[in-house]
Amino acid sequence: MNNYIEKNILPLVTKPITYLGNEVNAVHKIPSPEMIRFAFAFPDTYEVGMSHLGMKILYGLLNEEKDIWCERVFAPWVDMEEQLRRHDLPLYGLESMMPLNDYDFVGFTLQYEMSFSNILNMLELGKITLRSAQRKEAEPFVIAGGPCAYNPEPLSDFIDIFVIGEAEEVILKIMATHREWKKTGGARQDFLKMAAAIEGVYVPAFYAVSYDETTGVITAFAPVIEEAPATIRKQFIEDLDQAYFPDKIVVSYTETVHDRISYEIFRGCGRGCRFCQAGMIYRPTREKTVPTIQSKIKALIAATGYDEVSLSSLSTGDYSEIETLIKNLVCDAESGKVSISLPSLRIDSLSIEMLEEIQKVRKAGLTLAPEAGTQRMRDVINKGVTEENLMDTVKTAFEKGWGHVKLYFMIGLPGETLADIEGIADLGQKVVDEYYKIDRESRNKSLKVVLSASSFVPKPFTPFQWMGQNTPEEFKNKQRHLKASIKDRKISYSWHDSGVSFLEAVFARGDRRLGLVLEKAHQKGCRFDGWGEYFDLQKWTEAFVEAGIDPDFYALRNRDYDEILPWDFIDTGVTKKFLKAEAQKAEAAVTTPFCPESCSNCGIMEFKKGWKCNG
Amino acid sequence: MVKIQYQFKRSTPLRFLSHLDQQRLFQRAFRRANMPVEYSQGFNPHPRMSFALAMSVGLTSDGEYGEVIVSEDIDVETFISRMNKVLPNGLEIVSANICGEGVGSLSAALSKSVYRIRIKVIPETDLAALAEAIQSYLALPQILIQKRNKKGKYVEKDIRPFIESIAVFADPGTDKVNIKMTLIYIEQQCVKPEQILESINNQNSAVFLIDPTIEIHREKLLITADA
Repeated sequence: MNNYIEKNILPLVTKPITYLGNEVNAVHKIPSPEMIRFAFAFPDTYEVGMSHLGMKILYGLLNEEKDIWCERVFAPWVDMEEQLRRHDLPLYGLESMMPLNDYDFVGFTLQYEMSFSNILNMLELGKITLRSAQRKEAEPFVIAGGPCAYNPEPLSDFIDIFVIGEAEEVILKIMATHREWKKTGGARQDFLKMAAAIEGVYVPAFYAVSYDETTGVITAFAPVIEEAPATIRKQFIEDLDQAYFPDKIVVSYTETVHDRISYEIFRGCGRGCRFCQAGMIYRPTREKTVPTIQSKIKALIAATGYDEVSLSSLSTGDYSEIETLIKNLVCDAESGKVSISLPSLRIDSLSIEMLEEIQKVRKAGLTLAPEAGTQRMRDVINKGVTEENLMDTVKTAFEKGWGHVKLYFMIGLPGETLADIEGIADLGQKVVDEYYKIDRESRNKSLKVVLSASSFVPKPFTPFQWMGQNTPEEFKNKQRHLKASIKDRKISYSWHDSGVSFLEAVFARGDRRLGLVLEKAHQKGCRFDGWGEYFDLQKWTEAFVEAGIDPDFYALRNRDYDEILPWDFIDTGVTKKFLKAEAQKAEAAVTTPFCPESCSNCGIMEFKKGWKCNG
Repeated sequence: MVKIQYQFKRSTPLRFLSHLDQQRLFQRAFRRANMPVEYSQGFNPHPRMSFALAMSVGLTSDGEYGEVIVSEDIDVETFISRMNKVLPNGLEIVSANICGEGVGSLSAALSKSVYRIRIKVIPETDLAALAEAIQSYLALPQILIQKRNKKGKYVEKDIRPFIESIAVFADPGTDKVNIKMTLIYIEQQCVKPEQILESINNQNSAVFLIDPTIEIHREKLLITADA
């Protein structure tokens, strides 16, 4: 098959080199019958998937085990898909080019709801039975994890096993269980039962749901076998500093979305922004130490040859020793011409001087995320930054020669009024005014302020999980109003399509009844829904109609606090009581402090015995 | 500062690299090999390295040339072995030269390319007739093709001076033929082998089925002695 694909198919597609699995540091092993074959599947393109940190960690971790060979598979681009279908060839794991249905495990990472249709498409292309219940004995176990697994229900018809939380430890337990099971010669069902008993594992087939016939809400959710626990506790790594991180990562030949070493300096975030799911589910905050970070980065540069390192986390400026870390890294990097980049900076957390130290020459755009246009709205979402913070930051940036500022906002936040929308335009105007206050000689010659507004999608395990999303019509009106409120030609405005946000909202808080919709949408050819050119709302609308499901029920409906939510059986450590209290504080526009300043008792300290945040 | 000129091979596993991919690959390989590559001065420093030719996607080659400027003295054997240790399967440095500062650029010294091509022909093509067609093609004093210039306008170009020889060989048991082609560089300009095959098709009735499954291999890249 390899030779045939190389000779007859790859010359016909774009970026053929991404379908060969022969990159530097790609792992190749000699297969044996005992070997566990694991295909790590990323349900988006190679360029997106290769930028994903979690895949690099698990790929390295699994391949450390002699008897496991973990390979990669991405959603083939549409031209490759067409060729595979035309030649009736299966989707394959890149390294060995083995058909997907020959693996022991196919493991999907769930980063984004809009990739769900790609999962079905990849299973089909890999010639794996779509529905778990119909999968044959010899087919792979389809396993999934990642942030979207915190509400696994919309995918529960298709995924055999979900991992809830950080997978580093659980995945090895699952592999050990598989070795045991293989020795016993047991049936598929036996393995699923064994897996269901592992803490942090959810096997949806072993749970039953019932619904209220008139309202459609869930009336009961419970396990149907003894091995399956009623509550699934999310897993997290306590000692992140000592946790596994690979010394080598696969280096793509083509340019990827984040074409650099991405090194995670801490996990979790104690800011408590109320819209942010990651900020809640990845608690508690755990840091790596400066020496670990320095030595690991050094090893990674030597093993990959990358010339850029990005310090990743949910809010990099909040790292407790950020100044020391950057000083040391800049010093290390100087000689080797390695540059350091800092994503996800808060307006108030890092000085522009620090940014300047890192980006010595290039004054590329400065991106800041005030998230909302008025102080009241920022208090509602607990963003905790002030207009003064923003103005101080842009003033310094303009003084230092920056001229291009991009500001991120969300519209459709709870309790939002037109005044809050106008606030976004006002804030943009104030940034422009700040620029003109700077002496003509020292400021950048050109000014550009971009206001980017995305449509807010309420997510599970956030204080806004009970809230109905704005209707597509409301979003359109708000976008129009914002556009009309912008008066200055130096300000440009970009927004996101609300059709995608609507669908994202449906699946983010959906239940298992959506499986049918997903299947129908897949049959209609939906895939790459996150890519504007392939998103087809019409097809999705048809799929909902044919499945007899009202999407508004999921996206637009306000839930009561005592309703059973589809994801209630998962315990993230952050209690529902805390989320409810936060929702009520949001209504009153009352803020909650940053964790290190004052503990707000989210529940994570009680979740794991002996765990203490911040020391 | 030392300039190193090296000859390298690219084989099937990496034939789908684009020129940019290959540049990135070498840049990272130099870093993995701990090569003290010099950087350009100025706003956006970049490593001082280049290739004699940009390789198109799909091309394999036994004779490519590249150069790099390093800040410390290094002997040829160390350079080759350290590089080959870090280069992925599909790229290999076969020889290298340490050059003085004054040595000119490689791309100015290009003389000839020798290609071996494997291409589909229309079913039941008679090899002898094909050889004859090529002979009469080569006998033409002038071969004009339409070519897009830098401004995007079509201009006529005589490609005959760029062709030294074309020979055709059987590929038994397949619907393909093998072609050996020697092409000449004139003032750093050249013609791509696919363009020549297409022009042969245009002069006669079409014989070659030109599609992306064509296999093109550069056997040799000759450079003039003064480089």
